[in-house]
Amino acid sequence: MQLFIEQLINGCALGSLYAMFAVGFGLVFATLGILNAAHGTYASWAAIAALYATEQMGLPFPLALLAGVIAGGVLALVVDQIGFQPLRGRGAGMMGALITSIAFWIILDSLAGLATGQQSLSFPPGTTPSRMLHLGPILLPGIQLVSIGAMLLVTLGMHMLMRHTRFGSAMRAVGWNGTAAALGGVNPRMVVVATAFLAGATSGLAGVLAGVATQNVSFALGQGLMLKGFAAVVVGGYDDVRGAAVAGVSLGVLEVMSAQYLSSSLRDGITYVLLLGFLLLRPRGLFGRAAFVRA
Amino acid sequence: MSGKLGAVLAVMALLAPAGAALAAEPGDYNIGFVTENTGPIAFAGLSYWHGAQLAAEEISASGYIGKGAKLGLVDKESGSDPARAIQALRGVIADRTVIATSCCILSPVAGSLKPIAISSKIPLVIFGATAPGLPQAPFVQSMTILPGPKDVATAKRAAEVTKPKTAAYFVAADNDAFKARMAAAQRELEAMGVKTAAVVSVLSADTDFTAAATQAMGVKPDMVLVYATQTPAVGIVTALRARDFGGTIVGNDVLSPDPVFKKLGPASKDVMFPISFSASMVKSDAGKAFVAAYRKSFNADPDIYSAQGYAVAYFIAQGLKSIPGKPTREGLAEALSKITVLEHDVYGGERIVEGQAETADTLIVSWSPEGKLAPWPSAQ
Repeated sequence: MQLFIEQLINGCALGSLYAMFAVGFGLVFATLGILNAAHGTYASWAAIAALYATEQMGLPFPLALLAGVIAGGVLALVVDQIGFQPLRGRGAGMMGALITSIAFWIILDSLAGLATGQQSLSFPPGTTPSRMLHLGPILLPGIQLVSIGAMLLVTLGMHMLMRHTRFGSAMRAVGWNGTAAALGGVNPRMVVVATAFLAGATSGLAGVLAGVATQNVSFALGQGLMLKGFAAVVVGGYDDVRGAAVAGVSLGVLEVMSAQYLSSSLRDGITYVLLLGFLLLRPRGLFGRAAFVRA
Repeated sequence: MSGKLGAVLAVMALLAPAGAALAAEPGDYNIGFVTENTGPIAFAGLSYWHGAQLAAEEISASGYIGKGAKLGLVDKESGSDPARAIQALRGVIADRTVIATSCCILSPVAGSLKPIAISSKIPLVIFGATAPGLPQAPFVQSMTILPGPKDVATAKRAAEVTKPKTAAYFVAADNDAFKARMAAAQRELEAMGVKTAAVVSVLSADTDFTAAATQAMGVKPDMVLVYATQTPAVGIVTALRARDFGGTIVGNDVLSPDPVFKKLGPASKDVMFPISFSASMVKSDAGKAFVAAYRKSFNADPDIYSAQGYAVAYFIAQGLKSIPGKPTREGLAEALSKITVLEHDVYGGERIVEGQAETADTLIVSWSPEGKLAPWPSAQ
């Protein structure tokens, strides 16, 4: 039982990282209509920025985390304005944006490799929440609590923003039809800028926490999140952050539990069989609406 | 008398180092070096490349292969991707200034390039791939010191010293070479009476090992053995120590580069692993000179990877030196296949058996608290 509970917590913590990443990824897809292959690099660069803030500037972890989150948001904003905004102006469609995002993915990945000296780096000991909590016989790494807490905050905050604020309504309106939203008094450019920043910042948060939890800050960090984050968005549904969060956590738990109780070598295979099953049986995802169609 | 003199001369000719009195014709000779300076294992790729660069500079400056004969490197990047590696190899083969080629950290990539080198009749010297059986005379040689036998010796030694009853194994399930290395160590330990408590599979691209560590600790092993590439190996050790695993951890050579100590920090305590080369424990004169020159050039200590890159260039140079006049690719391949002892040996006691470099000793080490590699178990 102790092992089961520990693995359940491990799965929830791992899934929380997928969920946070998926929330940002889904936001960009639902609002901006971009299947952004470069999204994983925001997480990598956020972790690199947080590491730099810790090692070179001596910032305490909360401020380093904030620096990483802002770096992820700013990078997403820069990529959007340089890469995607000109395409929007020309009405290039989703395929043009996808190809552009692949180019940014390769460029930013290569630059991240150079920035880290092609090494897998880690936060210096003692600079991050690395304490192991003992809850009776259960061992709980402190960073796992931080990850789960951050995921709950991000999901709740993003859901409130999307569903219960005027700005959220504007985001959904732009996602549905930018021209109609503009006619209705929404400033689409502002919505695009804010959405890109929020999505990058959310992924950045996942990246920094993943970097701390796994002691791995490298260009490869975002790639791992990207695949699982995409799966979480597909399973959860593109247009509801709750779905992405639930699916992300579920993927994490499934991954850990299948490795523990079924087969660790078939772990990813089991995960993706589930994904395939979801695509076949419920293509709109857990919380997705049947009528939802990207503009 | 004349018969005796003839016999002595014949023996001397046989025993003389290949081409000791010979030299290559003056000119520029290039090695086509398929680099892995980007991609998932670039941390090692850069070390191999730096070692080869240093050796090529030394060889050219010293006139090792002949007066006026210089050795250069023509590099093409593969990013550890088989398709790009094939393109890169074909690119350097097309360059007629290239007399020999060198490649590969990953065994599947080396396996892909091997038939191309053979069909193109150009020497291919492998610098890092660890799968046994890659060399094929006369065109394919390997300067990789195979870690498999050293892993077995290390596991055995660790079991003799710490006397575990049970062992858990972590293995990179997507890497055949590591799977074979783990299986060999497991057989040895089971023969010694050490029961297998669990085999935990991870993937080379994995980054989170908390769950894997929990799984292994669930069976309460006395000893954990790790057979995976660097990022997973470091992650596994960190996760185990974070969960207060106090038992013996046996790693492998991927834990030996300096940045690993910085990354592991206190988690590196009592983690042992075999290595073929250590800058802090080098004994041979050639090895000491290599360490000093490497520090001067790159402001860092050479690691096992840079030692192998360095050996590649000297190995090819030794072959070139043994060919009188203008060497050809096929002639060089024949010359390389005859080398059994490397003249410029940084390890001390390196031999080449059927195209495969070997060292006699197994150096078992662990990190000292100051970040130096020290012999295990005397460092404890």
